[in-house]
Amino acid sequence: MGFLDQYDLSPNIWDEMYDRKQIREHYHKVFHSLEQFDVNALQQKDRLAGELFMNQGITFTVYSDDAGIERIFPFDIIPRIITGKEWNHIELGIQQRLKALNLFLKDIYNEQQILKDKIVPAALIASCPHYTREVFGIRVPHDIYVHISGIDLIRGEDGQFYVLEDNLRTPSGVSYMLENREVTKRIFPELLAASHVRRVSNYPLMLHEILLQMAPAQISNPSVVLLTPGIYNSAYYEHAFLARMMGITLVEGRDLVVDNHKVYMKTTEGLEQVHVIYRRIDDEYLDPLVFKPDSALGVPGLMNAYRMGNVAIVNAIGNGVADDKAVYAYVPQMIRYYLNEEPILPNVPTYELSDPEQRKHVFDNIERMVIKRTNQSGGYGMVMGNKVTPEEWIKAKAAIEADPRSFIAQPIIKLSTVPCFIDGTFQARHVDLRPYALCGPQGVQIVPGGLTRVALRKDSLIVNSSQGGGSKDTWVID
Amino acid sequence: MLSRIADSLFWLARYMERAEGLLRVTATHYLLSLDKDVNGALTWQSVLETFTTATPAEIEATKNQTADALKLLLTSNSNSNSLKMIIGKARENARGIQDYITKEVWEEVNSFYHLINQPTLDKRLSSYEAADMLDLFTRHSVLYTGITDITMARGTGWGFMNLGKYIERCFETIVLTNKHYQMNHYKIHESKDIMQWRQLLMSLSGYELHLKTYRSSADNHDVLHQVLFNEDFPHSVVYSLGRIDRHLQDVTRRNVSEENAALMRCFGRLYSKVKHTDMDTLNNHTLHPYLEELRGEVLQFTKLLSQQFFSYA
Repeated sequence: MGFLDQYDLSPNIWDEMYDRKQIREHYHKVFHSLEQFDVNALQQKDRLAGELFMNQGITFTVYSDDAGIERIFPFDIIPRIITGKEWNHIELGIQQRLKALNLFLKDIYNEQQILKDKIVPAALIASCPHYTREVFGIRVPHDIYVHISGIDLIRGEDGQFYVLEDNLRTPSGVSYMLENREVTKRIFPELLAASHVRRVSNYPLMLHEILLQMAPAQISNPSVVLLTPGIYNSAYYEHAFLARMMGITLVEGRDLVVDNHKVYMKTTEGLEQVHVIYRRIDDEYLDPLVFKPDSALGVPGLMNAYRMGNVAIVNAIGNGVADDKAVYAYVPQMIRYYLNEEPILPNVPTYELSDPEQRKHVFDNIERMVIKRTNQSGGYGMVMGNKVTPEEWIKAKAAIEADPRSFIAQPIIKLSTVPCFIDGTFQARHVDLRPYALCGPQGVQIVPGGLTRVALRKDSLIVNSSQGGGSKDTWVID
Repeated sequence: MLSRIADSLFWLARYMERAEGLLRVTATHYLLSLDKDVNGALTWQSVLETFTTATPAEIEATKNQTADALKLLLTSNSNSNSLKMIIGKARENARGIQDYITKEVWEEVNSFYHLINQPTLDKRLSSYEAADMLDLFTRHSVLYTGITDITMARGTGWGFMNLGKYIERCFETIVLTNKHYQMNHYKIHESKDIMQWRQLLMSLSGYELHLKTYRSSADNHDVLHQVLFNEDFPHSVVYSLGRIDRHLQDVTRRNVSEENAALMRCFGRLYSKVKHTDMDTLNNHTLHPYLEELRGEVLQFTKLLSQQFFSYA
């Protein structure tokens, strides 16, 4: 079928397949084999992919009336392709960034040298809601705070990759990266095999290895668990998936109990000690004795066991201070300060709205800006300056002026586009990229690729699944 | 093993066994209801009374409407014991232990769930496709049993799954037997046409075994012997208790605790009550209390079992 018939590109946007004269070289193979299929064959593949997700229970529930309707996260069948060369650059950049962020977390919860040297303003940290005084001075195994990260990258109109945000708490989506590849194996087996795509399937084993290494040193056969909020959590599928792929026990808070500063799980044979917890519960729900007292998801006394070093918690508690969107602006300085290197992956320019001068600049140029809340994710609380109505803007402005520390602004960056199969045609849609990096005592490892999130609505720049986003398989080819 | 997982395995198995029982009864009754028998057409009353939470008025209104009865039994949202609700609960339990059960078991439970939640189902159940749909459901149920058997690891979890399965089966046989003998006023020494017993026997997949095993004309007596005391009949009470005995031994051997002895004693009393009953002592006066006692003791044993192994919340 005619691939490019309806493939219209907006101006000033980097399209990853088509440079407006010809198909980029790394897309040749996929482009030509897609041209061989007719629409029906592709629609058939599209349906098959949907059924595969449905039958495996990779769904989320939309509640309407009294019946919950299960939906799959939209999956686009056409893979997104990154060259090996581009990938190597990304890999180096993320490794560098995580090294610096780990050093920052160690510093900020111990000596606070970076504040004393006035690289990062102390007021910024003091006003950060995710700075966790309760973990000040606690040493963590191997000085690793960020074991698992999902740093979001975007590609600007110049074709460069930028870091959009650092997710260092409990990033999710890695199961989609793995399942997307499994689905591609079913729908495009020949194409996948012929393209020599780098493998992603060993992620769970790499993660398991790191979890085992976090156990207190004297334990020869540590017991590792994955702590989930339970089946009503939207990422529950991923929790069960990872636990199964690693062969570790999936526990809920009510399965655990702390006795004499040690954590145990309640089994049919009595209590069994737990040494490492990969938690998928946010900090403030972990221990009702220290954080939210009404949390039923956590384990009373967990913080004490953590402080005593009897249990390792992955990721470490208090990481939120490092992925706060206002602190994000200082990561390039951190890289220079801790590593004495220039950042490999640039930040998106970021304006702190607590600074009156920057705030004025942003307000004067609002049509080119996006305003974000510093402690929100999932695409919530965003103001897109080019779409906002005057009434909304008056409201947003008032909110910002009342509490400027909670907001930052960035110039609107037109994310790059890739081809998607929508309504029987090929159309360009905006994407970002979330590679999943793992830090262990041996350094930072990243599975090649990651999760490509795609804004399925035409011209939308918001890729979050809660706001009409979907995902794609991501191929790194050499 | 986590107590929560043991609990969920137990209930997953119970609900799936309950679904299987419900399906066999419904399919049997559906096919028999198409035949005219000597007393006129069969109504759905007894099935609805045993297997649904419907009120007497609802049952009265539904009992002669096959399509409505099927809906109530299989796809209703208001009857908390409909197939749809049972499979929903089975899946809820399976979801919470996805990392423990095999991917194959999960996918079977999950696809069964999506099948029973298809919006077009009601229409198909009121058409000529009803028997096909019942077959399809039964096939899923059987498939679950097979997949579980082939893929699940043996060990404590397997023990709890089987305890759930056979406790449920034991209950089902006792309740169905009671219902059928109640309709005959517990007259076990009289003889009813075997055709009349077909419904019970086919619901428990025991009709063929009956024809092969029992040659006398004392059908009421023989059927009772089969469903309670026949060791070779996989739906008999004594067979189910034998299985429970085996898996209870296994579970208590793997999970040693002081309270195990009390649990074993409780089960021992129940098991010997069935194993060592003299059939001659059962008559139209004693049968009803006997069945009620059995049911009560199974209930008591189940309660103790869950106190012992599933207390975690």
